[in-house]
Amino acid sequence: MSDSSAADILERIKPLMHKRVGPYNSWNPVSRTQIWQWCSAMGDHNPLYLDDQYRAEHSEFSRDKAVAPPAMMQMWSMRDVNGNDGPGSTTDNLFEILAALEEEGYEGIMAVSYDQTFHRYLEEGDRAHHYSTIINVSDLKTTGIGKGFFVTQLAEFMDQNDELFAEARITYFKYQVPKKPAGASKPSAPGKINRIHPVENHDHEHFWQGLRDGKLLIQKCDDCGELRHPPQPMCEHCQSLNWSTIESKGKGTVYTYTVMHYPEIPPFDYPNAIVLVDLEEGVRIVSQLIGTKPDDIKIGMPVEMKLTEVQEDMTLPLFHAAGPKIEEKP
Amino acid sequence: MSNTLSRKAAIVGIGATEFSKDSGRSEMQLACEAVKAALDDAGLKGSDIDGMSSFSMDNNWENEILRQVGGKELKFFSRTEFGGGAACGPFVHAATAIASGLCDTVVIYRALNERSGLRFGSGQMMNNSPLDPNIINFSHYFPYGFMTPAAWIAFSARRYMHEYGATSEDFGRVAVAMRDFAATNPNAFFYERPITLEEHQASRMIADPLRLYDCCQESDGAVAFVVTSVERAKDLANTPAVIASARQSIVKESRMMTPFYGETLSGIPEFDACAGEVYSMAGLSPSDIDVACLYDHFSPWVLPQLEAFGFCDRGEAKDFVKDGHINRGGKLPVNPHGGQLGEAYIHGMNGIAEAVRQIRGSSVNQVEKVDHVLITAGAGVPTGAAILERG
Amino acid sequence: MSDVNHKFKNVIASDLSVGDALPEFELPITAKLVVSTAMASQDFQDVHHDKDAAIAKGTPDIFMNILTTNGFVGRYLTDWAGPGSRIKKIQFNLGAPNYPGDTMIMSGEVTELSQDGEHHLAHVNFKGKNGMGNHVSGTAIVQLATVAG
Repeated sequence: MSDSSAADILERIKPLMHKRVGPYNSWNPVSRTQIWQWCSAMGDHNPLYLDDQYRAEHSEFSRDKAVAPPAMMQMWSMRDVNGNDGPGSTTDNLFEILAALEEEGYEGIMAVSYDQTFHRYLEEGDRAHHYSTIINVSDLKTTGIGKGFFVTQLAEFMDQNDELFAEARITYFKYQVPKKPAGASKPSAPGKINRIHPVENHDHEHFWQGLRDGKLLIQKCDDCGELRHPPQPMCEHCQSLNWSTIESKGKGTVYTYTVMHYPEIPPFDYPNAIVLVDLEEGVRIVSQLIGTKPDDIKIGMPVEMKLTEVQEDMTLPLFHAAGPKIEEKP
Repeated sequence: MSNTLSRKAAIVGIGATEFSKDSGRSEMQLACEAVKAALDDAGLKGSDIDGMSSFSMDNNWENEILRQVGGKELKFFSRTEFGGGAACGPFVHAATAIASGLCDTVVIYRALNERSGLRFGSGQMMNNSPLDPNIINFSHYFPYGFMTPAAWIAFSARRYMHEYGATSEDFGRVAVAMRDFAATNPNAFFYERPITLEEHQASRMIADPLRLYDCCQESDGAVAFVVTSVERAKDLANTPAVIASARQSIVKESRMMTPFYGETLSGIPEFDACAGEVYSMAGLSPSDIDVACLYDHFSPWVLPQLEAFGFCDRGEAKDFVKDGHINRGGKLPVNPHGGQLGEAYIHGMNGIAEAVRQIRGSSVNQVEKVDHVLITAGAGVPTGAAILERG
Repeated sequence: MSDVNHKFKNVIASDLSVGDALPEFELPITAKLVVSTAMASQDFQDVHHDKDAAIAKGTPDIFMNILTTNGFVGRYLTDWAGPGSRIKKIQFNLGAPNYPGDTMIMSGEVTELSQDGEHHLAHVNFKGKNGMGNHVSGTAIVQLATVAG
């Protein structure tokens, strides 16, 4: 699809923007039963919501009325199980922009972000309704799941006095569902994403096996004695193919480092500090630095290794800031 | 060392597709479009081609392109490894093949959907074949999550800061200069979108010390060139961009994006090794260079390139940049098309196309009186460099 | 409910510094959780309770609905800040779905402390990460209780 047709689509749908649609009414007033059902399903035991004694003694709310968790804001005026809006709701179609995009082939929809402000917590007996307005449609964007438009909806959540108790800007991505190649497989069971396994070929296997056996091994030339890392089959100093390994003490200093922030690649935790360590034995090794705040990482800081089983069948020499030296008393 | 390739061949045609985030067509179509455009620009036909050269990471086979652009036969074809480090290699190969009489007219191309297709910056770039030298190399990094080009480059940027007292702002000035050029280049991603140093400093951290604006944007697009003998070039309409010198460079410290084990990380040893010969082969010195098209996938590595190629002393590139020498109107404008930071990331090939335009006098950001342009290929990998001369 | 009340404790401004971490919270995702929370939040879309329908729509299983994510973010904030706190703002981006069999680990950090009149506000960054990446990540502003305990 060319940019000009995207421009055409935008020109057609922009007039549909900024139309405030509503009200969408609630089927029922805020009730203790629904608050209980929510809190029970979510495991939320905050006494503010359902503990009358607590509220009377410790809050600005009344003893007699259960308080709704603020995140329930949107559900009070949702459709019922049959897809019907509450009595007296508008029959106007809020989503004519979405329908127009669907006609153009942008059939997929995915909520991407919520931005919510809570003005007051609702109490039992309050009666909610909401209005919605499409406030922005982006230019055509390409993301990991396809091409489409980001559509932002402003939802205004009002009480029985027409006062705003909460508002949300909800952004959806309305996209062209990419055609599946013929023979595409069915969705597989969701799986945990693991760290990528290293290649353990003839030249490298000893290193990874050593870690599993609890040792950080450094290759040593049997003929000239030079140490080397990462592993390679031939000594670059004397061209010997004969080698063995020594066990590193796992102590060294940071030669350089980076702190990775973006993109966040699963399964790693971010920020992810990566260090290049000068080992005392005289070779360098790359690893993660654990337990030091990013601002405290310095070139030259002493670090020591802790062999860590990060996942099944993968042990890595992760580094930590070295503690102060403790002198052994004789 | 023999100089047989010097001034034997010239770039006589350049062609490109638009640069975008989603080309909407196959890489093969991009390649054919760019090659056809380069032939048209040169005033040649497909049947004039008898050689081809590209990068190993390009997915388009020579025979497929040859047939579609109306070619008949190739006597020579070659590929260069190492991603963006291969940007100059095909010109070395083409000039060598032409100088040796192996062939007469070589097409060089690079076509990739690196944005809408496989994104290298996503950390998902590698296949899992245990025979792939990439995955063997990266096996010592991926298990830690150390798997993006920005993070690998950050190791060197941090050392450069540590050894020479450079700051994030010094990298930022490179980005600001590139975006300034891009702002007046209608073909650039960032046309009419310059940035300030303050905006650079406020941009989010990607891999400390690299911020968002220190990183190029992955792009879809293709660039192609026609290289022919200097004799044949005389019969063609365009001002030839003569290949005055060209060299590839691997040193023993070279690794694929991860050169962490040498004496220093603050320089680029491949460029230190080849710079002298790039000049001597051409019989030129740094003061003869009017424009430099330097590989700028990440802003920090522009600085050691300025040092390696003798425009300033080691560690002083930050001052050279601060003094505005690489900017519009400076004494060595760098990447007047906006570079990869501002125009698009086509593995350096768009920078070489700009070098040819500067020689011809046809750039949108034309520098006055350009006789010699230095071009470099990717840093942090086996690489190369060349000097183009107004013929 | 007194047996569960005792774990709640109000966090007050003088207890906090920028950079403080919120305690981690681990939520095993089960089909029962996905279905019961979808019902409790009035979300009857089939992808949240009907595995066959979910698979037909291209996902491998039923998955948690957004209102429930919102609910757990709210719970995470008040479990930490205590019943005397009041949530003022929650902004989040959605990522990897929460499928049964996975576990979501929520973590957070205080990024700023500010004042609005007499009220002390804690600005918090949070994320909920599952086996495939971040399910949710965002920022919140919580008005802190004025009395501890």
